[in-house]
Amino acid sequence: MSHQLTVDAPRRSPLRTFLTILGVAAVVATYAFLIVSEPADVVNGPSASSALVALVGFGLAMVLLFAGILPTLPTTTLALIPVALVLNIVLGQFVGSTLVPIYLDSIGTVLVGYLAGPSAGATTGLLSNLVWSFFNPSVLPFAAGAAAIGALAGLSARLGIVRRFYLVPIAGLVTGFVAAAIAAPIAVIVFGGTATGATGAIIALFRAAGEGLVQSVTTGAFTSDLPDKLVTFSVAAALAYALPRRSTQRFEFVRRYRVLAGAKRTGEPADSKAAPAA
Amino acid sequence: MWLAVLAASLGAAAAGRVLGKAVTAALVVVVPFALWALAIHGLFFPEGRTVLAAFGPARVTAEGLAYAGGIVLRTAALVVVMLAFSTWVEVPVLRAALVRRGVPAQLGYVLSTALGLASTVAERLERIREAQEARGLVVRQSLPGRIVAARLQVVPLVLQLVDEAGERAPALEARGQALPGRRTSYVDEPDSRAQRALRWVLAVASLAVVVSVMVPAVAGVLGGGR
Repeated sequence: MSHQLTVDAPRRSPLRTFLTILGVAAVVATYAFLIVSEPADVVNGPSASSALVALVGFGLAMVLLFAGILPTLPTTTLALIPVALVLNIVLGQFVGSTLVPIYLDSIGTVLVGYLAGPSAGATTGLLSNLVWSFFNPSVLPFAAGAAAIGALAGLSARLGIVRRFYLVPIAGLVTGFVAAAIAAPIAVIVFGGTATGATGAIIALFRAAGEGLVQSVTTGAFTSDLPDKLVTFSVAAALAYALPRRSTQRFEFVRRYRVLAGAKRTGEPADSKAAPAA
Repeated sequence: MWLAVLAASLGAAAAGRVLGKAVTAALVVVVPFALWALAIHGLFFPEGRTVLAAFGPARVTAEGLAYAGGIVLRTAALVVVMLAFSTWVEVPVLRAALVRRGVPAQLGYVLSTALGLASTVAERLERIREAQEARGLVVRQSLPGRIVAARLQVVPLVLQLVDEAGERAPALEARGQALPGRRTSYVDEPDSRAQRALRWVLAVASLAVVVSVMVPAVAGVLGGGR
């Protein structure tokens, strides 16, 4: 056992990459199953088998992704993840039960995606729902959507979208689209299309107009997720720029892909005074 | 069936002496869910045939009420089972148990740190609010006023937390967080042969239930799809 004190975290190995791919495959397969078996007749009551398939499939994917990604994360990222989880929960409650159909419960996840990359973002999304389910277990089935949000946030940072901040809202809209597409079947199958707050009101509105359940829930998901992710991505980008460079440049992902604008040029006055409120 | 699950998990919570906490936490989640389920499915259920009462566009139908009841009961069972566990479990013991079973140590770190942070952050947010109010922050009713107030409180919180996380990283690094290998734990999980046997029985039983439900469902879809 001759470890050096500064040994690197075990990075990617073929086995871990395989596990990660398997996890993504499990998400895709479960999702495909849910779409194909989407209940046409809601009158016969909630179908238990589809809900079980959803929970088992996404649960399996969660385990695989954890096993594949967690050991490869550098310690700086690992230390940031709990903070992001708490931010998700606290900022989500901050907005709380307003009648605007947004929840803002993924700002921390998106921030980690920006600072530490897609796989860290996906892990944060999964962990966030896992930890949140200690207080509110009804968020657990939506973990796959949270993982997709984190991964897409990391991907957009890597493509330089956060650097060109006028593109951030567009990335948010795209993510909102994906998140809604993932969340809607889960909301129908596991919770019978019941949602609380403004999303629930939208669903009730469409149901009152005589729409089908799947239709109404999908509409509700899109009307709440698109603006929500737009705001989330913008707020997270604003936070990333408000952080002192000492904090952001600690992340290898930020340095390597030059995620934030103005990172190369030194002596930019706006950067060193970016946090007047602190 | 869901009632039996509810009763069993409430019984387990009572045995673990967390009945009050678990019920409170579950009510916080289930009551709004039930109200919305009633509002959505109880009032608006176009597929319903048996109309019990109608107010304009809203029609209370027997089918809608039955559907809402089924969903609420199922969700309540899920919520109570999980909350009975999470209010009972002691996080350090859970962490030790996870590590002993070969779960990546990082998961235990994240779980316990996040659950520990959650309580201190609320307190810290309060302190930031007081500090900002001492500097003259007045939360106004208007939307821009609220946004300004939120910004003045959230930005310092985020800066503080991210900075702390950055400082924690070298400390973790120095303690060998990233190293592979066995972890030793200060906490021992209480375990017995009977518990171990019961766990195996339960694991096999739930696996059997899952397989018996999932295989026909998946086969049905695959068969119907072709």
